[in-house]
Amino acid sequence: MRDTRRARLTLGLLLAVALILITVDHRAGNDRVLGPVRDFASAVFGKAERVGAAVTRPITGFVTMLRDAPTARRVITDLRKENARLRDEVSANRLDRARAEKLDRMLGLAGLGRYRIVPAQVVARRTVAGFEDTVEIDVGTGDGIRPDMTVLSDVGLVGRIVQAGPDSSTVALLTDPALSAGARLEGGNELGVVSGLGEAGGGGNLIRFRLLDSTVPIGVGRRIVSFGSQQSKPYVPGVPIGIVERVDNTPGEVTRTAYARPFTDFSALDVVGVVVAAPKRDPRDAVLPPVPKPPKPRPEEQRRGDADRGRERGSLEAEWGLVAGDDPRAAAERRSRGGAPEAAQERRGRNGTRAVGGEQHAQEPPAAREPRADRDQRAVHDQRAGRAGDSADAAHEPRRHDGRGGGN
Amino acid sequence: MARNLVAALLLFVALVLQVSVVNRLLFSWAPDLVLLTVAALATRRGPVPGAVIGFCGGLAYDLLPPSNHTLGQYALVLCFLGYAAGRVGDRLPLLAVAACAIAAPGLLAGLGALLGAPGITWPVLATAWPRAAICNLVAAPLVLRAVKVTHGGHRRRAGGGELVPSWRRGMA
Repeated sequence: MRDTRRARLTLGLLLAVALILITVDHRAGNDRVLGPVRDFASAVFGKAERVGAAVTRPITGFVTMLRDAPTARRVITDLRKENARLRDEVSANRLDRARAEKLDRMLGLAGLGRYRIVPAQVVARRTVAGFEDTVEIDVGTGDGIRPDMTVLSDVGLVGRIVQAGPDSSTVALLTDPALSAGARLEGGNELGVVSGLGEAGGGGNLIRFRLLDSTVPIGVGRRIVSFGSQQSKPYVPGVPIGIVERVDNTPGEVTRTAYARPFTDFSALDVVGVVVAAPKRDPRDAVLPPVPKPPKPRPEEQRRGDADRGRERGSLEAEWGLVAGDDPRAAAERRSRGGAPEAAQERRGRNGTRAVGGEQHAQEPPAAREPRADRDQRAVHDQRAGRAGDSADAAHEPRRHDGRGGGN
Repeated sequence: MARNLVAALLLFVALVLQVSVVNRLLFSWAPDLVLLTVAALATRRGPVPGAVIGFCGGLAYDLLPPSNHTLGQYALVLCFLGYAAGRVGDRLPLLAVAACAIAAPGLLAGLGALLGAPGITWPVLATAWPRAAICNLVAAPLVLRAVKVTHGGHRRRAGGGELVPSWRRGMA
Protein backbone atom coordinates (compact mmCIF):
# COMPACT_ATOMS: atom_id res chain seq x y z
CA MET A 1 0.00 0.00 0.00
CA ARG A 2 2.68 2.42 -1.01
CA ASP A 3 0.28 4.61 -2.74
CA THR A 4 -2.04 4.73 0.17
CA ARG A 5 0.64 5.74 2.62
CA ARG A 6 2.01 8.33 0.28
CA ALA A 7 -1.43 9.52 -0.39
CA ARG A 8 -2.22 9.87 3.28
CA LEU A 9 1.02 11.71 3.83
CA THR A 10 0.27 14.09 1.01
CA LEU A 11 -3.23 14.65 2.23
CA GLY A 12 -2.06 15.27 5.78
CA LEU A 13 0.57 17.69 4.56
CA LEU A 14 -1.86 19.62 2.44
CA LEU A 15 -4.45 19.77 5.18
CA ALA A 16 -1.80 20.98 7.59
CA VAL A 17 -0.74 23.69 5.18
CA ALA A 18 -4.34 24.72 4.75
CA LEU A 19 -4.85 24.87 8.50
CA ILE A 20 -1.67 26.89 8.91
CA LEU A 21 -2.85 29.26 6.24
CA ILE A 22 -6.20 29.61 7.95
CA THR A 23 -4.57 30.22 11.31
CA VAL A 24 -2.13 32.76 9.98
CA ASP A 25 -4.72 34.64 8.02
CA HIS A 26 -7.27 34.51 10.79
CA ARG A 27 -4.89 35.65 13.50
CA ALA A 28 -3.33 38.34 11.37
CA GLY A 29 -6.70 39.98 11.14
CA ASN A 30 -6.33 43.35 9.51
CA ASP A 31 -2.55 43.23 9.38
CA ARG A 32 -2.75 41.16 6.23
CA VAL A 33 0.42 39.12 6.52
CA LEU A 34 -0.59 37.44 3.28
CA GLY A 35 -1.32 40.77 1.63
CA PRO A 36 1.23 40.43 -1.20
CA VAL A 37 -0.16 37.02 -2.10
CA ARG A 38 -3.65 38.39 -2.21
CA ASP A 39 -2.51 41.36 -4.27
CA PHE A 40 -0.83 39.13 -6.80
CA ALA A 41 -3.87 36.87 -7.03
CA SER A 42 -6.22 39.79 -7.41
CA ALA A 43 -4.05 41.19 -10.21
CA VAL A 44 -4.08 37.90 -12.12
CA PHE A 45 -7.69 36.98 -11.50
CA GLY A 46 -8.90 40.51 -11.91
CA LYS A 47 -7.62 40.61 -15.48
CA ALA A 48 -9.07 37.21 -16.21
CA GLU A 49 -12.41 38.22 -14.75
CA ARG A 50 -12.50 41.37 -16.81
CA VAL A 51 -11.79 39.42 -19.97
CA GLY A 52 -14.31 36.79 -18.98
CA ALA A 53 -16.95 39.37 -18.26
CA ALA A 54 -16.30 41.09 -21.59
CA VAL A 55 -16.52 37.81 -23.49
CA THR A 56 -19.65 36.66 -21.73
CA ARG A 57 -21.43 39.98 -21.66
CA PRO A 58 -23.74 39.06 -24.55
CA ILE A 59 -24.68 35.85 -22.74
CA THR A 60 -25.21 37.74 -19.52
CA GLY A 61 -27.33 40.28 -21.28
CA PHE A 62 -29.36 37.61 -23.01
CA VAL A 63 -30.01 35.68 -19.82
CA THR A 64 -30.89 38.85 -17.99
CA MET A 65 -33.30 39.71 -20.76
CA LEU A 66 -34.88 36.27 -20.60
CA ARG A 67 -35.21 36.48 -16.86
CA ASP A 68 -36.77 39.93 -17.05
CA ALA A 69 -39.02 39.14 -20.00
CA PRO A 70 -42.27 38.42 -18.12
CA THR A 71 -42.00 41.51 -15.98
CA ALA A 72 -40.69 43.58 -18.87
CA ARG A 73 -43.82 42.85 -20.87
CA ARG A 74 -45.99 44.03 -18.04
CA VAL A 75 -43.80 47.05 -17.48
CA ILE A 76 -44.02 47.96 -21.15
CA THR A 77 -47.79 47.68 -21.09
CA ASP A 78 -48.01 49.77 -17.96
CA LEU A 79 -45.68 52.40 -19.36
CA ARG A 80 -47.63 52.57 -22.60
CA LYS A 81 -50.84 53.09 -20.71
CA GLU A 82 -49.28 55.72 -18.53
CA ASN A 83 -47.77 57.41 -21.55
CA ALA A 84 -51.10 57.61 -23.32
CA ARG A 85 -52.78 58.94 -20.21
CA LEU A 86 -50.12 61.58 -19.70
CA ARG A 87 -50.27 62.61 -23.33
CA ASP A 88 -54.03 63.01 -23.05
CA GLU A 89 -53.61 65.05 -19.95
CA VAL A 90 -51.03 67.33 -21.51
CA SER A 91 -53.11 68.01 -24.60
CA ALA A 92 -56.22 68.56 -22.50
CA ASN A 93 -54.29 70.98 -20.34
CA ARG A 94 -53.06 72.86 -23.36
CA LEU A 95 -56.57 73.05 -24.75
CA ASP A 96 -57.96 74.21 -21.42
CA ARG A 97 -55.33 76.89 -21.13
CA ALA A 98 -56.05 78.20 -24.63
CA ARG A 99 -59.77 78.28 -23.83
CA ALA A 100 -59.20 79.98 -20.52
CA GLU A 101 -57.13 82.65 -22.24
CA LYS A 102 -59.82 83.23 -24.83
CA LEU A 103 -62.49 83.40 -22.20
CA ASP A 104 -60.39 85.84 -20.24
CA ARG A 105 -59.94 88.12 -23.20
CA MET A 106 -63.61 87.89 -24.06
CA LEU A 107 -64.61 88.86 -20.55
CA GLY A 108 -62.18 91.74 -20.81
CA LEU A 109 -63.83 92.93 -23.99
CA ALA A 110 -67.27 92.53 -22.48
CA GLY A 111 -66.22 94.47 -19.42
CA LEU A 112 -64.81 97.22 -21.59
CA GLY A 113 -68.12 97.66 -23.37
CA ARG A 114 -70.12 96.93 -20.21
CA TYR A 115 -71.93 94.10 -21.89
CA ARG A 116 -73.26 91.35 -19.74
CA ILE A 117 -72.38 88.11 -21.42
CA VAL A 118 -72.98 84.41 -21.06
CA PRO A 119 -69.89 82.48 -22.16
CA ALA A 120 -70.48 79.58 -24.50
CA GLN A 121 -68.57 76.97 -26.36
CA VAL A 122 -68.93 76.29 -30.07
CA VAL A 123 -70.00 72.67 -30.44
CA ALA A 124 -70.84 72.34 -34.13
CA ARG A 125 -70.50 74.26 -37.31
CA ARG A 126 -72.35 74.18 -40.55
CA THR A 127 -71.23 75.85 -43.73
CA VAL A 128 -73.12 75.68 -46.96
CA ALA A 129 -71.02 77.50 -49.49
CA GLY A 130 -72.45 80.86 -50.26
CA PHE A 131 -75.75 80.38 -48.47
CA GLU A 132 -75.33 79.62 -44.84
CA ASP A 133 -72.66 79.96 -42.21
CA THR A 134 -73.85 78.99 -38.75
CA VAL A 135 -72.47 77.50 -35.57
CA GLU A 136 -74.11 75.75 -32.66
CA ILE A 137 -73.24 76.84 -29.14
CA ASP A 138 -73.86 74.99 -25.91
CA VAL A 139 -76.08 77.49 -24.12
CA GLY A 140 -79.82 77.93 -24.59
CA THR A 141 -82.94 79.41 -23.14
CA GLY A 142 -82.06 77.82 -19.82
CA ASP A 143 -79.10 80.15 -19.63
CA GLY A 144 -81.12 83.21 -20.53
CA ILE A 145 -80.44 83.10 -24.22
CA ARG A 146 -83.14 84.49 -26.50
CA PRO A 147 -83.17 84.85 -30.25
CA ASP A 148 -81.61 88.02 -31.64
CA MET A 149 -78.89 88.41 -29.12
CA THR A 150 -75.45 89.55 -30.08
CA VAL A 151 -72.66 87.01 -30.03
CA LEU A 152 -69.08 88.18 -29.69
CA SER A 153 -65.70 86.60 -29.36
CA ASP A 154 -62.62 87.77 -27.52
CA VAL A 155 -61.78 90.26 -30.26
CA GLY A 156 -64.99 91.28 -31.93
CA LEU A 157 -68.42 90.58 -33.30
CA VAL A 158 -69.28 87.02 -34.26
CA GLY A 159 -72.93 87.14 -35.21
CA ARG A 160 -76.30 86.79 -33.60
CA ILE A 161 -78.55 84.14 -32.21
CA VAL A 162 -81.12 83.06 -34.77
CA GLN A 163 -82.65 80.24 -32.82
CA ALA A 164 -82.46 79.35 -29.14
CA GLY A 165 -83.17 75.85 -27.94
CA PRO A 166 -83.40 74.64 -24.35
CA ASP A 167 -79.69 74.02 -24.02
CA SER A 168 -78.20 74.91 -27.35
CA SER A 169 -78.53 77.79 -29.75
CA THR A 170 -77.80 78.53 -33.37
CA VAL A 171 -75.64 81.49 -34.24
CA ALA A 172 -75.58 83.02 -37.68
CA LEU A 173 -72.07 84.22 -38.29
CA LEU A 174 -71.14 87.62 -39.59
CA THR A 175 -69.87 85.98 -42.75
CA ASP A 176 -73.29 84.50 -43.50
CA PRO A 177 -74.64 86.22 -46.63
CA ALA A 178 -78.07 86.43 -45.01
CA LEU A 179 -76.77 88.54 -42.18
CA SER A 180 -76.24 92.26 -42.06
CA ALA A 181 -75.58 94.63 -39.24
CA GLY A 182 -75.56 98.32 -38.74
CA ALA A 183 -72.03 99.62 -38.46
CA ARG A 184 -70.20 102.81 -37.94
CA LEU A 185 -66.73 103.91 -38.88
CA GLU A 186 -64.50 104.43 -35.92
CA GLY A 187 -64.19 107.99 -34.74
CA GLY A 188 -67.00 109.39 -36.81
CA ASN A 189 -70.66 109.31 -37.44
CA GLU A 190 -70.60 107.73 -40.88
CA LEU A 191 -73.08 104.92 -40.89
CA GLY A 192 -73.14 101.86 -43.02
CA VAL A 193 -74.22 98.29 -43.27
CA VAL A 194 -71.99 95.31 -42.85
CA SER A 195 -73.02 92.11 -44.55
CA GLY A 196 -71.46 88.76 -45.09
CA LEU A 197 -70.14 87.69 -48.43
CA GLY A 198 -70.16 83.94 -47.97
CA GLU A 199 -67.90 82.29 -50.48
CA ALA A 200 -67.55 85.49 -52.44
CA GLY A 201 -65.65 86.97 -49.50
CA GLY A 202 -62.63 84.87 -50.24
CA GLY A 203 -62.80 81.82 -48.03
CA GLY A 204 -65.37 83.46 -45.78
CA ASN A 205 -62.86 85.91 -44.49
CA LEU A 206 -64.02 89.22 -45.89
CA ILE A 207 -67.21 91.11 -45.18
CA ARG A 208 -68.74 93.94 -47.13
CA PHE A 209 -69.24 97.36 -45.62
CA ARG A 210 -71.56 99.70 -47.47
CA LEU A 211 -71.42 103.27 -46.39
CA LEU A 212 -74.77 104.95 -46.84
CA ASP A 213 -73.29 108.36 -47.62
CA SER A 214 -71.23 107.99 -50.75
CA THR A 215 -69.50 111.30 -50.33
CA VAL A 216 -67.67 110.31 -47.20
CA PRO A 217 -64.22 108.94 -47.94
CA ILE A 218 -63.31 105.59 -46.44
CA GLY A 219 -59.65 105.07 -45.73
CA VAL A 220 -58.03 101.68 -45.84
CA GLY A 221 -57.16 100.63 -42.32
CA ARG A 222 -60.09 102.36 -40.62
CA ARG A 223 -61.93 100.23 -38.16
CA ILE A 224 -65.60 99.44 -37.96
CA VAL A 225 -67.70 99.03 -34.83
CA SER A 226 -71.29 97.92 -34.55
CA PHE A 227 -73.79 100.74 -34.43
CA GLY A 228 -76.42 99.05 -32.36
CA SER A 229 -80.02 98.30 -33.07
CA GLN A 230 -83.22 99.45 -31.43
CA GLN A 231 -83.32 98.15 -27.87
CA SER A 232 -79.98 96.58 -28.69
CA LYS A 233 -81.67 93.74 -30.56
CA PRO A 234 -80.09 92.01 -32.34
CA TYR A 235 -76.91 94.05 -32.08
CA VAL A 236 -75.50 95.91 -29.16
CA PRO A 237 -73.50 99.02 -29.96
CA GLY A 238 -69.77 99.39 -29.86
CA VAL A 239 -68.62 95.87 -30.66
CA PRO A 240 -65.53 95.87 -32.90
CA ILE A 241 -66.32 94.34 -36.25
CA GLY A 242 -63.36 94.63 -38.56
CA ILE A 243 -60.84 96.70 -40.34
CA VAL A 244 -61.27 98.17 -43.81
CA GLU A 245 -59.01 96.47 -46.24
CA ARG A 246 -60.12 97.51 -49.68
CA VAL A 247 -62.38 100.25 -51.02
CA ASP A 248 -64.31 100.09 -54.27
CA ASN A 249 -64.61 103.48 -55.85
CA THR A 250 -67.44 103.45 -58.28
CA PRO A 251 -68.42 106.97 -59.30
CA GLY A 252 -72.09 107.67 -59.35
CA GLU A 253 -73.09 104.88 -57.07
CA VAL A 254 -75.57 105.57 -54.31
CA THR A 255 -73.61 103.80 -51.63
CA ARG A 256 -69.92 103.36 -51.18
CA THR A 257 -68.62 99.84 -50.78
CA ALA A 258 -65.60 98.69 -48.86
CA TYR A 259 -64.37 95.24 -47.93
CA ALA A 260 -63.31 94.67 -44.37
CA ARG A 261 -61.53 91.89 -42.58
CA PRO A 262 -63.32 90.90 -39.37
CA PHE A 263 -61.40 90.96 -36.13
CA THR A 264 -62.81 87.56 -35.28
CA ASP A 265 -61.12 84.56 -36.85
CA PHE A 266 -64.15 82.67 -38.07
CA SER A 267 -62.16 79.62 -38.98
CA ALA A 268 -61.10 79.06 -35.37
CA LEU A 269 -64.14 79.89 -33.29
CA ASP A 270 -64.04 78.27 -29.89
CA VAL A 271 -65.17 80.33 -26.93
CA VAL A 272 -67.82 82.95 -27.62
CA GLY A 273 -70.02 85.12 -25.48
CA VAL A 274 -73.68 85.93 -25.85
CA VAL A 275 -74.61 89.44 -24.77
CA VAL A 276 -77.66 89.04 -22.57
CA ALA A 277 -77.78 92.65 -21.47
CA ALA A 278 -76.74 95.68 -23.42
CA PRO A 279 -74.90 98.58 -21.83
CA LYS A 280 -76.94 101.58 -20.77
CA ARG A 281 -74.69 103.91 -22.68
CA ASP A 282 -73.16 103.36 -26.10
CA PRO A 283 -69.48 102.55 -25.46
CA ARG A 284 -68.64 104.18 -28.81
CA ASP A 285 -65.06 103.32 -29.71
CA ALA A 286 -63.96 102.29 -26.24
CA VAL A 287 -64.05 98.59 -26.99
CA LEU A 288 -61.70 98.86 -29.95
CA PRO A 289 -58.21 97.67 -29.19
CA PRO A 290 -55.69 100.44 -28.60
CA VAL A 291 -54.25 101.95 -31.73
CA PRO A 292 -50.80 100.55 -32.35
CA LYS A 293 -47.89 102.95 -32.18
CA PRO A 294 -45.79 103.44 -35.33
CA PRO A 295 -43.33 100.73 -34.26
CA LYS A 296 -46.17 98.28 -34.13
CA PRO A 297 -46.38 95.96 -31.17
CA ARG A 298 -47.40 92.38 -31.74
CA PRO A 299 -51.12 91.60 -31.71
CA GLU A 300 -50.79 89.35 -28.66
CA GLU A 301 -49.52 92.20 -26.53
CA GLN A 302 -52.35 94.43 -27.59
CA ARG A 303 -54.87 91.83 -26.76
CA ARG A 304 -53.36 91.24 -23.36
CA GLY A 305 -53.47 94.94 -22.57
CA ASP A 306 -57.05 94.94 -23.68
CA ALA A 307 -57.90 92.11 -21.37
CA ASP A 308 -56.21 93.79 -18.45
CA ARG A 309 -58.16 96.92 -18.99
CA GLY A 310 -61.34 94.92 -19.17
CA ARG A 311 -60.70 93.10 -15.95
CA GLU A 312 -60.72 96.37 -14.02
CA ARG A 313 -64.17 97.16 -15.15
CA GLY A 314 -65.48 93.64 -15.11
CA SER A 315 -66.98 94.00 -11.66
CA LEU A 316 -69.35 96.64 -12.90
CA GLU A 317 -71.11 94.20 -15.18
CA ALA A 318 -73.64 93.16 -12.62
CA GLU A 319 -75.38 96.52 -12.68
CA TRP A 320 -77.43 95.98 -15.75
CA GLY A 321 -80.47 93.85 -16.06
CA LEU A 322 -81.68 91.83 -18.91
CA VAL A 323 -83.72 93.80 -21.41
CA ALA A 324 -86.33 91.53 -22.86
CA GLY A 325 -88.82 92.33 -25.53
CA ASP A 326 -91.50 90.48 -27.47
CA ASP A 327 -90.47 92.23 -30.63
CA PRO A 328 -87.35 90.23 -31.48
CA ARG A 329 -89.02 86.93 -30.79
CA ALA A 330 -91.74 87.75 -33.28
CA ALA A 331 -89.09 88.71 -35.77
CA ALA A 332 -87.34 85.42 -35.27
CA GLU A 333 -90.54 83.51 -35.85
CA ARG A 334 -91.18 85.36 -39.01
CA ARG A 335 -87.66 84.63 -40.14
CA SER A 336 -87.89 80.99 -39.42
CA ARG A 337 -91.07 80.82 -41.41
CA GLY A 338 -89.73 82.82 -44.28
CA GLY A 339 -86.36 81.20 -44.72
CA ALA A 340 -82.97 82.73 -45.21
CA PRO A 341 -83.00 83.73 -48.89
CA GLU A 342 -86.24 85.66 -48.50
CA ALA A 343 -84.88 87.39 -45.47
CA ALA A 344 -81.88 88.44 -47.46
CA GLN A 345 -84.06 89.87 -50.19
CA GLU A 346 -86.12 91.74 -47.68
CA ARG A 347 -83.05 93.12 -46.08
CA ARG A 348 -81.65 94.35 -49.32
CA GLY A 349 -84.87 96.14 -50.03
CA ARG A 350 -84.82 97.72 -46.63
CA ASN A 351 -81.33 98.97 -47.06
CA GLY A 352 -82.17 100.52 -50.36
CA THR A 353 -79.85 98.43 -52.38
CA ARG A 354 -82.40 96.81 -54.58
CA ALA A 355 -82.32 99.73 -56.92
CA VAL A 356 -78.64 99.25 -57.50
CA GLY A 357 -78.83 95.47 -57.49
CA GLY A 358 -77.32 95.18 -60.95
CA GLU A 359 -74.33 97.27 -60.10
CA GLN A 360 -73.92 95.40 -56.92
CA HIS A 361 -73.75 92.13 -58.75
CA ALA A 362 -71.28 93.66 -61.11
CA GLN A 363 -69.12 94.54 -58.14
CA GLU A 364 -69.10 91.20 -56.53
CA PRO A 365 -67.17 89.17 -59.06
CA PRO A 366 -63.89 91.02 -58.54
CA ALA A 367 -63.94 89.96 -54.94
CA ALA A 368 -64.48 86.38 -55.98
CA ARG A 369 -62.03 86.47 -58.79
CA GLU A 370 -59.32 88.07 -56.73
CA PRO A 371 -56.13 86.04 -57.07
CA ARG A 372 -55.39 83.87 -54.09
CA ALA A 373 -51.76 84.96 -53.84
CA ASP A 374 -52.86 88.55 -53.56
CA ARG A 375 -55.32 87.62 -50.85
CA ASP A 376 -52.74 85.69 -48.87
CA GLN A 377 -50.33 88.53 -49.09
CA ARG A 378 -52.92 90.85 -47.78
CA ALA A 379 -53.69 88.50 -44.93
CA VAL A 380 -50.05 88.54 -43.93
CA HIS A 381 -49.95 92.27 -44.16
CA ASP A 382 -53.05 92.58 -42.10
CA GLN A 383 -51.63 90.41 -39.41
CA ARG A 384 -48.44 92.38 -39.27
CA ALA A 385 -50.15 95.72 -39.18
CA GLY A 386 -52.32 94.68 -36.28
CA ARG A 387 -55.29 96.91 -36.03
CA ALA A 388 -53.97 100.05 -37.57
CA GLY A 389 -56.51 102.78 -37.85
CA ASP A 390 -57.57 106.16 -36.85
CA SER A 391 -57.31 107.35 -33.34
CA ALA A 392 -60.46 107.05 -31.37
CA ASP A 393 -62.15 110.29 -30.59
CA ALA A 394 -65.16 110.55 -28.47
CA ALA A 395 -67.59 112.33 -30.68
CA HIS A 396 -71.01 111.84 -29.22
CA GLU A 397 -73.97 110.92 -31.26
CA PRO A 398 -77.50 109.96 -30.39
CA ARG A 399 -78.39 106.38 -31.06
CA ARG A 400 -80.57 105.80 -34.01
CA HIS A 401 -82.58 103.03 -35.43
CA ASP A 402 -80.54 101.59 -38.23
CA GLY A 403 -80.82 98.90 -40.82
CA ARG A 404 -80.70 95.86 -38.69
CA GLY A 405 -80.84 92.68 -40.62
CA GLY A 406 -83.74 90.39 -41.03
CA GLY A 407 -86.81 91.90 -39.57
CA ASN A 408 -88.73 94.54 -37.69
CA MET B 1 2.16 16.83 -17.67
CA ALA B 2 -0.38 17.70 -20.30
CA ARG B 3 -3.06 16.36 -18.03
CA ASN B 4 -1.88 18.66 -15.24
CA LEU B 5 -1.97 21.64 -17.56
CA VAL B 6 -5.47 20.74 -18.73
CA ALA B 7 -6.55 20.35 -15.12
CA ALA B 8 -5.10 23.77 -14.21
CA LEU B 9 -6.76 25.32 -17.24
CA LEU B 10 -10.09 23.74 -16.35
CA LEU B 11 -9.81 25.06 -12.82
CA PHE B 12 -8.94 28.50 -14.05
CA VAL B 13 -11.87 28.56 -16.45
CA ALA B 14 -14.17 27.31 -13.71
CA LEU B 15 -12.96 30.04 -11.34
CA VAL B 16 -13.45 32.80 -13.87
CA LEU B 17 -16.82 31.49 -15.00
CA GLN B 18 -17.93 31.17 -11.41
CA VAL B 19 -17.40 34.80 -10.51
CA SER B 20 -18.00 36.50 -13.84
CA VAL B 21 -21.00 34.59 -15.16
CA VAL B 22 -22.65 32.11 -12.86
CA ASN B 23 -22.73 34.19 -9.72
CA ARG B 24 -23.88 37.24 -11.60
CA LEU B 25 -26.69 35.49 -13.39
CA LEU B 26 -28.11 33.21 -10.76
CA PHE B 27 -27.24 35.01 -7.53
CA SER B 28 -28.09 32.78 -4.60
CA TRP B 29 -29.12 29.90 -6.87
CA ALA B 30 -25.64 29.54 -8.34
CA PRO B 31 -23.95 26.11 -8.31
CA ASP B 32 -20.38 25.91 -7.07
CA LEU B 33 -18.52 25.24 -10.32
CA VAL B 34 -15.08 25.14 -8.66
CA LEU B 35 -16.13 22.49 -6.18
CA LEU B 36 -17.73 20.38 -8.91
CA THR B 37 -14.71 20.72 -11.19
CA VAL B 38 -12.36 19.71 -8.40
CA ALA B 39 -14.51 16.71 -7.52
CA ALA B 40 -14.87 15.65 -11.15
CA LEU B 41 -11.12 15.98 -11.76
CA ALA B 42 -10.43 13.99 -8.60
CA THR B 43 -12.64 11.16 -9.79
CA ARG B 44 -10.57 10.97 -12.96
CA ARG B 45 -7.16 11.25 -11.32
CA GLY B 46 -7.24 9.49 -7.99
CA PRO B 47 -6.88 10.55 -4.35
CA VAL B 48 -3.43 12.19 -4.26
CA PRO B 49 -3.82 14.26 -7.42
CA GLY B 50 -7.35 14.97 -6.22
CA ALA B 51 -6.04 16.29 -2.93
CA VAL B 52 -3.44 18.44 -4.71
CA ILE B 53 -5.98 19.74 -7.21
CA GLY B 54 -8.40 20.44 -4.41
CA PHE B 55 -5.80 22.31 -2.43
CA CYS B 56 -4.69 24.41 -5.38
CA GLY B 57 -8.21 25.07 -6.58
CA GLY B 58 -9.38 25.99 -3.10
CA LEU B 59 -6.43 28.28 -2.54
CA ALA B 60 -7.10 29.97 -5.87
CA TYR B 61 -10.75 30.29 -4.91
CA ASP B 62 -9.71 31.85 -1.60
CA LEU B 63 -7.55 34.34 -3.46
CA LEU B 64 -10.14 35.16 -6.11
CA PRO B 65 -10.68 38.90 -5.81
CA PRO B 66 -14.16 39.42 -4.42
CA SER B 67 -13.41 37.45 -1.28
CA ASN B 68 -13.77 38.37 2.34
CA HIS B 69 -13.28 35.10 4.11
CA THR B 70 -10.23 33.69 5.84
CA LEU B 71 -7.58 32.45 3.45
CA GLY B 72 -7.39 28.65 3.36
CA GLN B 73 -10.99 27.70 4.10
CA TYR B 74 -11.75 26.51 0.63
CA ALA B 75 -8.27 25.01 0.35
CA LEU B 76 -8.85 22.85 3.40
CA VAL B 77 -12.34 21.72 2.44
CA LEU B 78 -11.59 21.11 -1.23
CA CYS B 79 -8.35 19.32 -0.39
CA PHE B 80 -10.22 16.89 1.81
CA LEU B 81 -13.11 16.48 -0.65
CA GLY B 82 -10.69 15.98 -3.56
CA TYR B 83 -8.97 13.20 -1.67
CA ALA B 84 -12.29 11.57 -0.76
CA ALA B 85 -13.64 11.86 -4.31
CA GLY B 86 -10.44 10.36 -5.64
CA ARG B 87 -10.81 7.40 -3.29
CA VAL B 88 -14.42 6.63 -4.24
CA GLY B 89 -14.55 8.14 -7.70
CA ASP B 90 -13.16 5.29 -9.74
CA ARG B 91 -16.10 3.07 -9.14
CA LEU B 92 -18.94 5.59 -8.80
CA PRO B 93 -17.80 8.93 -10.15
CA LEU B 94 -21.27 10.49 -10.28
CA LEU B 95 -22.09 9.40 -6.76
CA ALA B 96 -18.79 10.77 -5.50
CA VAL B 97 -19.36 14.13 -7.16
CA ALA B 98 -22.91 14.22 -5.83
CA ALA B 99 -21.75 13.47 -2.30
CA CYS B 100 -19.17 16.27 -2.57
CA ALA B 101 -21.83 18.60 -3.93
CA ILE B 102 -24.06 17.93 -0.93
CA ALA B 103 -21.37 17.89 1.72
CA ALA B 104 -19.32 20.90 0.64
CA PRO B 105 -21.71 23.73 1.63
CA GLY B 106 -22.12 22.25 5.07
CA LEU B 107 -18.41 21.74 5.58
CA LEU B 108 -17.65 25.30 4.43
CA ALA B 109 -20.30 26.73 6.71
CA GLY B 110 -19.07 24.66 9.62
CA LEU B 111 -15.50 25.77 9.12
CA GLY B 112 -16.67 29.38 8.82
CA ALA B 113 -18.61 28.99 12.07
CA LEU B 114 -15.54 27.58 13.80
CA LEU B 115 -13.53 30.58 12.62
CA GLY B 116 -16.22 32.93 13.86
CA ALA B 117 -17.56 34.10 10.50
CA PRO B 118 -20.62 36.24 11.13
CA GLY B 119 -24.06 35.37 9.88
CA ILE B 120 -23.87 31.58 10.07
CA THR B 121 -26.78 30.42 12.21
CA TRP B 122 -29.00 27.34 12.13
CA PRO B 123 -31.99 28.99 10.41
CA VAL B 124 -29.74 30.40 7.70
CA LEU B 125 -28.04 27.08 7.28
CA ALA B 126 -31.40 25.26 7.11
CA THR B 127 -32.40 27.22 4.02
CA ALA B 128 -29.02 27.87 2.45
CA TRP B 129 -27.56 24.38 2.62
CA PRO B 130 -30.43 22.54 0.83
CA ARG B 131 -30.59 25.24 -1.78
CA ALA B 132 -26.86 25.12 -2.48
CA ALA B 133 -26.95 21.32 -2.48
CA ILE B 134 -29.77 21.23 -5.00
CA CYS B 135 -28.03 23.70 -7.28
CA ASN B 136 -24.82 21.70 -7.10
CA LEU B 137 -26.65 18.45 -7.79
CA VAL B 138 -28.32 19.91 -10.85
CA ALA B 139 -25.01 21.12 -12.23
CA ALA B 140 -22.98 18.05 -11.22
CA PRO B 141 -23.70 15.80 -14.25
CA LEU B 142 -22.97 18.64 -16.66
CA VAL B 143 -19.64 19.46 -15.05
CA LEU B 144 -18.71 15.79 -14.88
CA ARG B 145 -19.55 15.39 -18.55
CA ALA B 146 -17.56 18.49 -19.48
CA VAL B 147 -14.52 17.34 -17.50
CA LYS B 148 -14.74 13.87 -19.03
CA VAL B 149 -14.80 15.36 -22.53
CA THR B 150 -12.00 17.88 -22.05
CA HIS B 151 -9.74 16.04 -19.66
CA GLY B 152 -10.04 12.57 -21.02
CA GLY B 153 -9.97 9.45 -18.86
CA HIS B 154 -6.99 7.66 -17.40
CA ARG B 155 -8.83 4.39 -17.60
CA ARG B 156 -8.63 4.24 -21.34
CA ARG B 157 -4.98 5.18 -21.23
CA ALA B 158 -4.27 2.64 -18.53
CA GLY B 159 -6.28 0.10 -20.39
CA GLY B 160 -7.66 -1.25 -17.15
CA GLY B 161 -11.14 -2.45 -16.39
CA GLU B 162 -13.82 -0.05 -15.36
CA LEU B 163 -14.01 -1.25 -11.80
CA VAL B 164 -10.31 -1.35 -10.90
CA PRO B 165 -9.28 1.49 -8.56
CA SER B 166 -6.25 3.52 -9.45
CA TRP B 167 -4.08 2.46 -6.60
CA ARG B 168 -4.68 -1.17 -7.45
CA ARG B 169 -4.07 -0.52 -11.08
CA GLY B 170 -0.66 0.84 -10.14
CA MET B 171 0.15 -2.46 -8.47
CA ALA B 172 -1.19 -4.64 -11.16
